[in-house]
Amino acid sequence: MDFGYSEKEEEFRRRLCKFLDENLTEEIARQNWEDKGVGPEAREFSRKLAANGFLGMSWPKEYGGKGLSPIYDFILLDELGKRWGAHVPLDVGYTMVGPTILRRGSEKLKKEFLPKIIAGEIEFCLGYTEPNAGSDLASMKMRAEDKGDYFLINGQKTFNTECHYAEYHWLAARTDFDPEKPKHKGISLFIVDLDSPGITVRPLITMSGERTNEVYYDDVKVPRERMVGEKNKGFYYMMEAIASERNQVFIPMRLYPILQELISYAKNTKYNGKPLASDPVIRDKLAQAAIELEVACVLADHSRWLESNELPMTYEPEVTKIFTSELEQRLIDIGIQILGLYGPLTEESKWAPLRGRIAWYYLHSFMTTIGAGTSEIGRSVIAQRGLGLPRSY
Amino acid sequence: MDFHFTEEQNILRKTARDFLETECPSSFVLEMEADEKGYTEKMWQKMADLGWIALIIPEEYGGVGGGLLDLVVMMEEMGRACLPSPYFSSIVLGAITIIEAGNGEQKESFLPKIATGDLKLTLAHLEPCTTKYDPRLVEAEALPKEENYVINGTKLFVPDAHVADYIICVAKTRDQKDSKNSLTLFLVESSASGLEIVPLKNIAGSKEFEVSFNNVMVSKKDILGSVNEGASYLDKVLQIATVCKCSEMVGAAQKVLEMASSYAKEREQFGKPIGSFQAVQHHCANMLIAIEGSRYITYKTAWMLDKRIPCKKEVSVTKAWVSESYKEVVRLGHQVQGATAYMIEHDMPLYSRRAKVAEMVFGDANYHRQVVADELGL
Repeated sequence: MDFGYSEKEEEFRRRLCKFLDENLTEEIARQNWEDKGVGPEAREFSRKLAANGFLGMSWPKEYGGKGLSPIYDFILLDELGKRWGAHVPLDVGYTMVGPTILRRGSEKLKKEFLPKIIAGEIEFCLGYTEPNAGSDLASMKMRAEDKGDYFLINGQKTFNTECHYAEYHWLAARTDFDPEKPKHKGISLFIVDLDSPGITVRPLITMSGERTNEVYYDDVKVPRERMVGEKNKGFYYMMEAIASERNQVFIPMRLYPILQELISYAKNTKYNGKPLASDPVIRDKLAQAAIELEVACVLADHSRWLESNELPMTYEPEVTKIFTSELEQRLIDIGIQILGLYGPLTEESKWAPLRGRIAWYYLHSFMTTIGAGTSEIGRSVIAQRGLGLPRSY
Repeated sequence: MDFHFTEEQNILRKTARDFLETECPSSFVLEMEADEKGYTEKMWQKMADLGWIALIIPEEYGGVGGGLLDLVVMMEEMGRACLPSPYFSSIVLGAITIIEAGNGEQKESFLPKIATGDLKLTLAHLEPCTTKYDPRLVEAEALPKEENYVINGTKLFVPDAHVADYIICVAKTRDQKDSKNSLTLFLVESSASGLEIVPLKNIAGSKEFEVSFNNVMVSKKDILGSVNEGASYLDKVLQIATVCKCSEMVGAAQKVLEMASSYAKEREQFGKPIGSFQAVQHHCANMLIAIEGSRYITYKTAWMLDKRIPCKKEVSVTKAWVSESYKEVVRLGHQVQGATAYMIEHDMPLYSRRAKVAEMVFGDANYHRQVVADELGL
């Protein structure tokens, strides 16, 4: 057992912290991770992060990486999280697409895409969910007909969040139409240029002000060489990537700045001449949030350790995802209770506490237990894969 | 970062699991609950032969010289088996206090005998004034008289006092409000005159006692550590004991989850195993989530204690979390296993009865959240 970091890892962290303190502003964090959407400042930050050698630590050297342990990537995630950054900028390419290209893509795809991802230059948008394929993702209908040297694609995707600024669509579509075959055995993965003729991207605005999209494909031609790995194996590739995605997207440390700001608010705000922090109820609630955050971090450390050592991950990242997303809701609830009537004030308001961040997080927190797989699907995965209970669907 | 146990620790776990599955079935646990003594010398001797009793005693005193993570493995397995024995009192509360506070001579005379299982100890610190858990609240007094001290006071919830050869008594040696520099630890022979032991029965069937000190005379030589410095040793011992208690709870909680999930696979209703119903699946998943967090936070804090990294906050984070989690695990374990597990012969009540006592011992979640709040600077 060892819960510490090596001197080399700590040295990396110190260098990184210095860089982030100088370069990562709250404006950039919000462009990357919150309602504002990726703008020029976020793009520039992403390139700078790469230029200073903080991206691709664990990626192979031949594609621009450093060939080190994934622990460095996790240190990066934690330090971003502490500064309101919930994940790596342009994270779909970096945390979801890149690793699958590395595992399953052709040499041509690797050479074309991986160096650009590590350089922080390009972004992808996940193209999985459809109006009738949410939790039951394998029932997707989007058609990709094999025309020899290209695929002809038609259909609709929804809640594809990065499509209005990403360069590429990471598209899952049906390539076997035999209704007798299991649904998950007829899906393939494609990299599609989002400026291809026949693609229409329409905005959907969420309750927390973020933009997501619905995407329509009308006779879109995608070259065969842009298919990832083998035909009809796409669903397997999506599933084998999911554990690592969970490890990199649902990081507990992104809740750290919320807790810290609430603690300092409670210390510095007076009621009847005494700090709110002397109220036993508030002390109890904040302590509970801090306890749960410590537990979330050690759960994450465990799944990360499995990944870093290439040990099998079955249900572990699911545990971290469920725990962290539900903790976010509990933490925000505690936050609004502490802020009282001021809690729901938005950032434009004169009296908004903590720059309106808690009010925004309240709106956002409904997404975290649904996005990337609901807590309910997650619990069934834990019961079936972690405990061997029979399938329920 | 490394979550692996060592090869030796894995062997220790396997040996303990195998031994306890054979030697400590639930029938034995129930029998010992009803028994006045609460354990058998035969079992105690076998535990000594296996090297468990000597596990964390330094090699120079005839021990195995194991670390806290070895002890964590041991406690998990004992918790899993609900092992009735004075191990916790004699080793965790007794031997560790001697190791932390004792002088060379005391270590020399006590530790080798504890290691062989020939000598048993326990710790008496809580009192009737502790109506809310607070380890620093002590009213029992020890007043100097020539080469001795005279102790007066009542101690409660003293584990295994009926079989301990020595009771480590925490008493006030200076009259001041802050207990930081006013407590002293005394090694009191349980046969000392003026010492009275009365059993307290609890729902776990564990053996705990009221111990009254009526003008009990103790030699100055039997003070553990420095006079008036008792609180600092006590803090350290209680940190270790708290993590050991959490390890027991983790081991027990894991067993509850295994019982519930195997029942869910076998029990059929509406023509299907109940484990295929999502309501039941989610109960089981919630148990697993609660246990995973409990396990790794316990290991992490044990590692910090072992490395002597200050971890007052982490100890309290751990006990607060594990107390609440284990409570939830037994609630769900009962729910999944239905009426059959409500029967007294079923194994489930062994765990739910112990869970409540374990939740309260060394401070419940309310107590530890206040410590965490202090540590956060609130």
